[in-house]
Amino acid sequence: MSAPEPTHPLAACATPGRHGAPGDAPLRVTLPRRDMVQVMARRGREDALAEAARAAFGLALPPAGQAAAAPDATAVWIQPGHWLFAAPRGMEGALAARAAAAFAGLAAVADQSHGRTTIAVSGPAARRVLARGCRLDLHPRAFGPGRAAATQIAHVGCLIHQTDEAPVFELTVFATLAEPFFHWLMEAGAQDGVLIE
Amino acid sequence: MSQPHRLPTGGHIDRATRLAFTFDGRRYEGHPGDTLASALLANGVRLVGRSFKYHRPRGIFSAGVEEPNALVELREGARREPNTRATVIELFDGLVAQSQNRRGSLAFDWMAAAGLLAPWLGAGFYYKTFMWPAAWWERVYEPMIRRAAGLGRASGLPDPDRYEAAHAHCDVLVVGAGAAGLAAARAAGAAGARVILAEQDALPGGDLLNEPALEGWRRAALAALDAMPEVTVMPRTTVFGFYDHGVLGAVERVSDHLPEPPPHLPRQRAWTIRAREVVLATGAHERLIAFPGNDRPGVMLAGAARGYARRHGVRAGEAAVLFATHDGAYEAAHAMAEAGARIVAIVDPRQDSAAMQRAREAGFDVRAGSEVCGTVGHAALRGVSVRRVGAAGRGDAFAADLLMVSGGWNPAVHLASMSGAPLVWDEALLAFIPGAPVQRERSAGACRGVHGIAAAAADGAAAGRAAAEAAGFAASPSFALPEAPAADCRPFALWEVKGRGKAFVDLQDDVTAADMRLAHREGFSHIEHAKRYTTHAMGTDQGKSGGIVGAAVLAEARGEPVARVGLPRFRPYTAPIAWGAMAGEGVGRHFQPTRRTALHAVHDALGAVWLDAGIWKRPAYYPRKEDADAWASVLREARAVRERVGICDVSTLGKILVEGPDAATFLDRIYANTFSTLPVGRARYGLMLREDGIVFDDGTTSRIGPESWFVTTTTAQAGPVMQHLEFHLASAWPELDVSLASVTDQWAAIAIAGPRAREVVAGFVQGIDLSNEAFPFMAVADCTAAGVPARLFRISFSGELAYEIAMPAGYATHVWQAAMAAGAAHGIEPYGMEALGLLRIEKGHVAGPELNGQTTAQDLGLGRMLKKKGDFIGRVLAQRPGLTDPSRPRLVGLRSVDPSRQIRAGSHLLLPDGKGRSEGWITSATRSVVEPGWIGLGLLREGEARMGSEVIAANPLMGEEVRMRVVSPHMHDPENIRVRA
Repeated sequence: MSAPEPTHPLAACATPGRHGAPGDAPLRVTLPRRDMVQVMARRGREDALAEAARAAFGLALPPAGQAAAAPDATAVWIQPGHWLFAAPRGMEGALAARAAAAFAGLAAVADQSHGRTTIAVSGPAARRVLARGCRLDLHPRAFGPGRAAATQIAHVGCLIHQTDEAPVFELTVFATLAEPFFHWLMEAGAQDGVLIE
Repeated sequence: MSQPHRLPTGGHIDRATRLAFTFDGRRYEGHPGDTLASALLANGVRLVGRSFKYHRPRGIFSAGVEEPNALVELREGARREPNTRATVIELFDGLVAQSQNRRGSLAFDWMAAAGLLAPWLGAGFYYKTFMWPAAWWERVYEPMIRRAAGLGRASGLPDPDRYEAAHAHCDVLVVGAGAAGLAAARAAGAAGARVILAEQDALPGGDLLNEPALEGWRRAALAALDAMPEVTVMPRTTVFGFYDHGVLGAVERVSDHLPEPPPHLPRQRAWTIRAREVVLATGAHERLIAFPGNDRPGVMLAGAARGYARRHGVRAGEAAVLFATHDGAYEAAHAMAEAGARIVAIVDPRQDSAAMQRAREAGFDVRAGSEVCGTVGHAALRGVSVRRVGAAGRGDAFAADLLMVSGGWNPAVHLASMSGAPLVWDEALLAFIPGAPVQRERSAGACRGVHGIAAAAADGAAAGRAAAEAAGFAASPSFALPEAPAADCRPFALWEVKGRGKAFVDLQDDVTAADMRLAHREGFSHIEHAKRYTTHAMGTDQGKSGGIVGAAVLAEARGEPVARVGLPRFRPYTAPIAWGAMAGEGVGRHFQPTRRTALHAVHDALGAVWLDAGIWKRPAYYPRKEDADAWASVLREARAVRERVGICDVSTLGKILVEGPDAATFLDRIYANTFSTLPVGRARYGLMLREDGIVFDDGTTSRIGPESWFVTTTTAQAGPVMQHLEFHLASAWPELDVSLASVTDQWAAIAIAGPRAREVVAGFVQGIDLSNEAFPFMAVADCTAAGVPARLFRISFSGELAYEIAMPAGYATHVWQAAMAAGAAHGIEPYGMEALGLLRIEKGHVAGPELNGQTTAQDLGLGRMLKKKGDFIGRVLAQRPGLTDPSRPRLVGLRSVDPSRQIRAGSHLLLPDGKGRSEGWITSATRSVVEPGWIGLGLLREGEARMGSEVIAANPLMGEEVRMRVVSPHMHDPENIRVRA
């Protein structure tokens, strides 16, 4: 028996199409399928880890509040010594195995591909909609591409990573809390209209 | 009626559009630009309400948030909102409003008889009058007073509208869009700052809206702001509170000016604004004067009458008297004259002034050195009595239907005061103004005593520029400021005119000057005490107009200056705010998030009855048609586990990856028992204590690699345990090289339990020799389950041969279905939390009801788990005499002597002969499937010594006493033969 495609945590509620108010500039919502691993540096090995990350993933481990991107992976700082690496969905466990091999002795690696899920929101309404739940200042003068922050939105822990000036924000939440978070997003976006792609 | 008091031209009124509305069932018309109050005045409606206590007739007194009288019930049905101020309700077509606090009609309110009892209804009368009999207070007096006194009625129905929260950030927040605020926002915006300009009114402009000559400047200012991309103007937004660290709260009335919110839009939006710098340009509220009859409909603040004439194009009276103590009020007389009213007299306690001279030149009858000492009329003002200041007697009578009053201006210092700034007495203005800032705020314009549009605008521009500079922006180019003549707003100190009749200092709460003196006589002389004794300034207007007047009356009684008496502390909210806005979207399903396991849809399809476990949804049981009741389902599910095999979603357990060279050392310190000796591929039951020696949590923890551990926690304590681990790693033992990751969401987990569990697991799990020898109790190994990577644990909570399979959550449904298919031939049944609870009680496993934050390891029969060698959290304090006392209640099993007698958790355990004294209690109760009857776990004093004896389970709430036999808590398979099979 071969492994099936995993069920997306939002499979039951994210119906593609237009929702909420009609309008020319709806909030665009996509659900990129990602593999994610939490990389946790061993005590005193952050420099070596950074070196290994550069060699294996081609990216510089970002400092607090920032993210780094390489063609096939991104790394977001999530807490002191911890990064969340993400890559497009591949073979089950492949990203974790790649990270574990690259960082052996330098970091612990926890696969979070099923434990977190990412909701990407974009369009001119994105900042306005996020402001209905997000306490952080996402204005271009305060935030921007490559910036990331952990916060709470609608009682749910959320990692916000701005990936594009457009703007595009990637919101990464716990899989078991993704549904209520998504309901909040749909309600907050209804007045601007939401397009789920 | 065709608006007989509407002026033909002028003001911010769209006369081409007619809006129909009703007040107390009568139909009227108004125009866009009207408030309900201005439309009522245009239609000649003078009487709009009844007062709080005495039910005196009241009319529109102000033109803004400070309105004490014109409180109405707005809208109908579920949207009916009590106590809304007619002076701030924007008129819309189809508006329905009703007067409130009356019996019978507004014109004939039979509760007005209360006025006859007035001599006995002074401040605090209910504390003194309704003393006897004491029992009557709650049942008779209080309901009676509450019915008689009061405000409007809430709808009592669920609010049909949506509210939402929102967050905003700016360099400079400007509160108030009058001349000062507009100039401040423009100056700060021109400097490049991100600016928010919040204005409670629908139209920005403040007093500029009353100055046709300055309309060009107002429009130019708004156009300039509109052209600045980083400036946001927020009309209909009340900034209600100034909190620490530059955080301010505001409510935006998104849809209140419409009959109902448009689709997808909230009714109101509660903003949390984080500002680096704040400019307060909140203006001032006009001050009333306490004189007998100062509450008669037709008595109105002078600035309000001016505003109704100039902004709304409404003549609030035909024959007007102005009673003023400063020049700033005189424009009202000129405005009313322009509007076509006759100025009967101007009464001023001063001898002469520039404005008085100008008034004389305009032909007005200026009564210098005089005061108003009474009013004539009932439901409408008919006349005014005027006398020399301080003279005795009733004075000369003037026929008038409008008395415009101004005792000066009260700077709106509320937000400055809330920010921590002290209030400083200004002897010239006889007012409190903001002192040195504590936070990064500054006041500009009338709210700091700078009066006149030109002066306020200049003050605002300077404040805006300074705020932008303080926020790091270079000085901005200057722009044209309005030019306007200034009037001297320093008032003559006339707070009260003494005479026969009630002179109100608080119109809304019916507090008179005499009440303030009574408070002083009764010993409530401090302003805060006097406020509570008299209810002065406690209404929805919060004393904006008369608060300082009451303080001045109190000051005179105390023989001290007003500056020393002060004002009561300002607290949020500056104006009434709908509570729905505070709740925001946090109602219904958004009150708290609902957490669902990856198998939620599977349980739903099985018809699960849901149980809330914290924020998790877990299946309680899965009813079937043939089940007579819930118990039938639960017993069926539990029996399936005991006799065949069951399947259960255990994904909610907390799961933590603990990894690193020092992980074993770390776990040895965290757990009360030893983990470092555990070989790879094995699990162990672990017990954590709190630092105070009480049991914190339990669970099985597995060694999945030499330096890698998989810790599980109870569902309830998953978060606290993670915090506990992180805290100790970060603060107590930073030298340990250990990493922690919560993997609760990554892994879903399924328990398969029952004598046939092995066959079922063998049917869909590959890569493991499941024989008892190769994979014994407490073994752990990676495997493949239905083709997906998984991890198999041989652990048991039910007391049967059991396995738990953890798999990446996205595969949970797939694996569950594979397990169900593999189990079909073995009679597998899903079981929920109720059956799980039943099974663990039979087995004597402790859970939440026993791990209740009060029990020790010894209490739970787990004392032998505490390691003898090595330190661990809770070791020292667990030795305290109180915790090691052998007489503490110990965990026991309990079985009802008569199997048909139900027992309940919470029942107390009494000795059959020991009447009354509780020896312990039942923590968990259930029906048993192993032996018919009710069983439970309990904590019983000297529990071990009492094994085999009888106790009484007493539940006085239910009137039940049940005989119970004390047994071992391990009521099922105490030798663990089944789990090891």
